[in-house]
Amino acid sequence: MAEVEETLKRIQSQKGVQGIIIVNSEGIPIKTTMDNSSTVQYVGLIHQLVMKARSTLRDLDPQNDLTFLRIRSKKNEIMIAPDKDYFLIVIQNPSD
Amino acid sequence: MTTPGAKLKKRTLMVTHSSRALNGSISGLHQVNHSSRHTGSNVSRKGLSMAGDSRSTIQTPRQTVRVLNENGTDVTPQPISHPEPGAKHNRVYLDEFSGPSDILSMLYQPTTAASLTVPFSRSVFCSSKISRSSLSTIESVNEERVDTFYKQDNYPASYVQVEREEVKEQVTEDMLNEVVNIYLTETETITHLDMPGISVSVDADDAEAIKERNNRYAELCKNRMGNDKYMDRSMQAFIGASKSKQVQCDSIVMVDTACEATTWDMYDSFYGAEQDKTELTAEPEKSGYSESIVNSSRGPEKTTSLLSTTSIATSASSSQREIETGMCSDDAADPRLILQSEKFQKVLLVMERCILANIFQPKLAAYRQLPIVEDCDSVVTPETMEHREEDVERSLSPTLESLWVFSCELTKGRTISCMAWNKKNPDLLAVGYGEFDFRDQTPGLVCCWSLKNPTWPERVYHCNTGVTSLDFSAKHPYRLAVGMTDGTIAIYYVYSQDKTCAVSSSKCSKKHYSSTWQVKWAEQDMGLSGDDKEEALMSISADGRISKWFLHDDLDCVELMRLKRMQEEKDEMETEVKDKKKKGEILRSLNAGFCFDFHPVDSSIYLAGSIDGTIYKCSSSNSQQFLETYSQHFGPVTRIKWCPFNPNVFLSCSLDWTIKLWIQDQLTPLLCLTSTQKQVHDIMWSPKWATVFGAINEGQMKIWNLDYSTLDPVIVHMAAPGVKMTSLLFALQTDCVLVGDNSGQVTVYQIKNFTVGEGNQVDTLESIISSAVARL
Repeated sequence: MAEVEETLKRIQSQKGVQGIIIVNSEGIPIKTTMDNSSTVQYVGLIHQLVMKARSTLRDLDPQNDLTFLRIRSKKNEIMIAPDKDYFLIVIQNPSD
Repeated sequence: MTTPGAKLKKRTLMVTHSSRALNGSISGLHQVNHSSRHTGSNVSRKGLSMAGDSRSTIQTPRQTVRVLNENGTDVTPQPISHPEPGAKHNRVYLDEFSGPSDILSMLYQPTTAASLTVPFSRSVFCSSKISRSSLSTIESVNEERVDTFYKQDNYPASYVQVEREEVKEQVTEDMLNEVVNIYLTETETITHLDMPGISVSVDADDAEAIKERNNRYAELCKNRMGNDKYMDRSMQAFIGASKSKQVQCDSIVMVDTACEATTWDMYDSFYGAEQDKTELTAEPEKSGYSESIVNSSRGPEKTTSLLSTTSIATSASSSQREIETGMCSDDAADPRLILQSEKFQKVLLVMERCILANIFQPKLAAYRQLPIVEDCDSVVTPETMEHREEDVERSLSPTLESLWVFSCELTKGRTISCMAWNKKNPDLLAVGYGEFDFRDQTPGLVCCWSLKNPTWPERVYHCNTGVTSLDFSAKHPYRLAVGMTDGTIAIYYVYSQDKTCAVSSSKCSKKHYSSTWQVKWAEQDMGLSGDDKEEALMSISADGRISKWFLHDDLDCVELMRLKRMQEEKDEMETEVKDKKKKGEILRSLNAGFCFDFHPVDSSIYLAGSIDGTIYKCSSSNSQQFLETYSQHFGPVTRIKWCPFNPNVFLSCSLDWTIKLWIQDQLTPLLCLTSTQKQVHDIMWSPKWATVFGAINEGQMKIWNLDYSTLDPVIVHMAAPGVKMTSLLFALQTDCVLVGDNSGQVTVYQIKNFTVGEGNQVDTLESIISSAVARL
């Protein structure tokens, strides 16, 4: 547990990291470093996107599955690690 | 006409009114039961019966009318006004009853406030005077027998009885305006003739008889045409007037469900069921249930829904499995458990690396010699543009460009004593932290860094004493051998997260009792046959012994060589040693060994450097004698390295400020390189260019190119003020060099603008050497 906390702290302190959100399978944020409204907004939208991405991948090959999703935008990058039980979402702006 | 009594039903009440009730009223109560179907003059064939209402002023019939409810209690409603005793009203109304339907119709025609509704509901009639003239019209209409009793004020004269006159007298205006309740009920269907058609199978036993009968009947029908016995007569059957009826019920909620059966959904349903065997038992019941529910709710209207029902079922089943797994792991979906799970830690690792890759992307790209792509979204300020232009101008001469630094909080302030690449994974770097001064007993540290994460090491091992040397095994790439200042040798298995060493030599009786200065894995011929090669760990230590370690359950060693001090002259060395043996053991202190290196081709030959500047060439098969001794250094030899491109050449450096290039068989060095008057701690041949090597003086890092110049190094890199460089390592596949210093940082430099001459480097080296030899 302590290691996990340490790692999360390290990630949070990396250059340009704007927020970390950990959501459980029901869409309830377990841990977040952002404010509540942004968290809820991110979670709701990202959940749908991940479902779509996963569905797309598996339609192409049912034995395949989504392990990581990165969305690079003008302002920042959203990295999502989806899993059966949870999502890990990190938002980073590397050019900060 | 049957008696009213016969028609009496349990719950219906035959109402007989005494004329008394009507005596005082113009409009009496008319209680007519009548089928709800008929609003017109026709009375239903089903018959009419009187129904009484408790609200109405029903007079209790004397003989016949009794109302009994289910329990048999007498619930005959009591009349509001009691008839005068001795009334013969019943009888009266029986007689009056002859053409009730007529009267009914009479009743209906002038109705003013007739409201006929569903049977058993009460209707209210308010009848005014009924003209007699209507009778005649009505008579012809109605043929049915009716059992209704009714009461009417203005009976036609033919039915008038004695009491009628009384009735007439007592009718008042008020009574005319009274609201009259009329109650209508329906009897059961009375079946007169019921001959259902029977179908008999052709194969039945009495089929023949029935066929015969059928035939006979058919003949009969034919004969009937002219036969007097049979007469055709038409009957009018009642075609009931249809009435539309509206029924209100709860609105049927229709739900539209749609489903996409995706490829993966079907795959999951088929193969997922095989995989999750534990949930399979619960699954089929549930899915079957859901299917049935779905089917029933769909209804028969849409046949196209069949497909969708199945898909709903399967998706329901798959989603149910998800729900189930979700439910099962709902307890496991407890946030703490999620955070503690191994999977999550791995995910975090990956995520961290992704983030760092974003941050370090240009540096890593340079390391891997990929073109650096400018981040098109990053904001470029005019200042940075200027810097870049300056950089472009300046960098024409060979320089070292610092890419990044491996450092973290743990390593701050520690001296880096050694670095080693993993033999299998070129991205893994092991760094040992330990003080050179063996009097300094701070605990050492070994960190395994990955190129993908320069901010935090992948593995951290705390050691009891300072670390002096590291080496990764080639055969078992997870084994990391660590030599320490107290002479202990430990082997760590880096694949596991375990923080303790797997094997340690601390329990071995023959362990080194002084600092182990270098450890190395080398392949050695084990058996008699030359092909059998096993990897063994070699170590050299300050107690003058070179040991070979075996890893079975525990580390055990065999002494390879003892470094004996050379006090006699070289040519007498061998005899000297023999003499010593003959004369018996003379205790000599051994020469502390500092470094060694195994021949790249013939790994049984190795060179060992000692503290008094002597370099010994030894063979692992001969543990008594040295093959050669080179004693041209004046200070402790800190590093010896064979040239990877030329098997006869080796370099040595020492604290006497010199770097010497040797040929194997020559006892004097070919070249002696000195640039600054500082101790040389480390040298290494470049793995890429045969004529290039790097050296570390105390505050400087130098890259020499023998082709370019044997007097001066090509690149001289100054350390930051106050920082001493201590260790050097070339990166294997790229042109980068790593430098460790005494502040706990490992800096990765890229060698830029470094060109070696054209042609094969090895040949160049050869030519240099031969020219140097010629000069001697």
